[in-house]
Amino acid sequence: MALGSTPVREYAEPPTVWFSRARVRIALVVVAVVAFYVVSWHLAKVDLERLATGLPKMASWARKAWPPATDELPVLLLRAAETVAMAAIGTTAAALLALPVCVLAARNVTPSMTLYYPTRWFLNALRGIDSFVFALLFVAAVGLGPFAGVLGIALHTWGSTAKLWAEAIENVPPGALEAAAATGASRVKVLAFALVPDVAPAMVSVALFWWEFNVRASTVLGVVGAGGIGQELKNSMDLLLFPRLLTIILIILVMVTVIDYGSEWLRRRLE
Amino acid sequence: MPLVRVDAVTKTYPTGVRALARVSFSVEPGEFVVLLGPSGAGKTTLFRCLTGLTRPDSGAVEIHGRDICRLGGRDLRTTRREVAMIFQQFNLIRRLTATQNVLAGRLPLLPTWRVLARSFARDDRQLALRCLDTVGLLDKAYTRADQLSGGQQQRVAIARALAQEATVVLADEPVASLDPESAATVLDTLRSVAARGVAVIASLHQVGLATDYADRIIALRDGRLLEDAPRGAFDPQALEQIYERSDARVAEPAGG
Repeated sequence: MALGSTPVREYAEPPTVWFSRARVRIALVVVAVVAFYVVSWHLAKVDLERLATGLPKMASWARKAWPPATDELPVLLLRAAETVAMAAIGTTAAALLALPVCVLAARNVTPSMTLYYPTRWFLNALRGIDSFVFALLFVAAVGLGPFAGVLGIALHTWGSTAKLWAEAIENVPPGALEAAAATGASRVKVLAFALVPDVAPAMVSVALFWWEFNVRASTVLGVVGAGGIGQELKNSMDLLLFPRLLTIILIILVMVTVIDYGSEWLRRRLE
Repeated sequence: MPLVRVDAVTKTYPTGVRALARVSFSVEPGEFVVLLGPSGAGKTTLFRCLTGLTRPDSGAVEIHGRDICRLGGRDLRTTRREVAMIFQQFNLIRRLTATQNVLAGRLPLLPTWRVLARSFARDDRQLALRCLDTVGLLDKAYTRADQLSGGQQQRVAIARALAQEATVVLADEPVASLDPESAATVLDTLRSVAARGVAVIASLHQVGLATDYADRIIALRDGRLLEDAPRGAFDPQALEQIYERSDARVAEPAGG
């Protein structure tokens, strides 16, 4: 055996400290986390009893919902198309707006650091406010209908897309950019030739992700009156029209699944 | 008039490290000069001064008689066109083909719309292929850069320097990341570039390669120029000693 030649002896080991600084710190963290969850549970008014009594009610609805209503199918499909259109136009507008801004928000290519910080704060503000909230504001400004939804999606997605794009730009290996600049080329040419090929796939992937995400997000916008199938969803719920509700849910599922597959296919083709 | 003239260049970094101390030398067209020295000797700082990326505290760096330290904006870019840079990490645009990377050398001369569309005129494309042929990589013309070996990538970088039609080529540790065989090919290629009348300055830390390939060796240590001697007049053993002695100093263990 390989250890054979090493003499057997008693090795000195550092003493075990049960209340070492690290252990005390971990214990405190665990206590804090548990306390946080206990408080949150109470604030969220989690009531498992109410869930138990509520579930049979939902089961009875499910029975009343079958078969799904087909009489208003054309209108519902139109609303679904509105939803997809809102997401498409909103996301595209956001991407076009994000193009110039993402360069400003990327540390390695921004023309000036005094522009970098305000741009980042602005984008964080847009990201922080959900499409839903923006849409709510725009309904008051431009009236009910899908256009408010488009604007809501565009603003929130503008912030999110620009930030992710800026991060993709910051992850480009600096050497290629430096080499292109060393030839004496202007900034625009360096970015167009050395930066774009490296970040383009990541940027397209981000844009597709947001498009998919926004189709799902815009199904909900109708609840605040911003158009699309969400409005029909809310109406059916309020009037307890269960077959109609089932139809709408099925339409949403199909729509989202098709978009997801389409996006995946596009992504693979662009590889 | 020499192509490159470095005159008493001194540079101390804000951290207090003195990177260069009154370094002076000049390079004529067609010379293959090797800057020899261990890491920290000031080689990279010197190169950065030669391309205008770093400004020395004092002294002048003249390319074709123009002091690059005093230039900015458009003038700086124009002078940079005369100097082609080859990096230890190759620095190619990984998703583009060898040909497109070679064309990057001509970026300042290409119309912006062609750069954006990545669609180039026949003359430019033919020039790029000719440059690749010169470095022996014509068969890899349409291969993506990240699918080439290290030695091949470095030769594409040299082809890029040729496409730039620069009169000065700076190579910062061009073979440090390569195996001995690829290193030999790359250094041979650089020698042939110098033979065409280009001033080539390469930094190396391997004494053997320097004595094999250089027309002239400039030895640097701790920012000071120790020796500037042409082939036939430098003593490989003396250089070996300079290098080893500084190495030994660095390697002194804490316990003594």
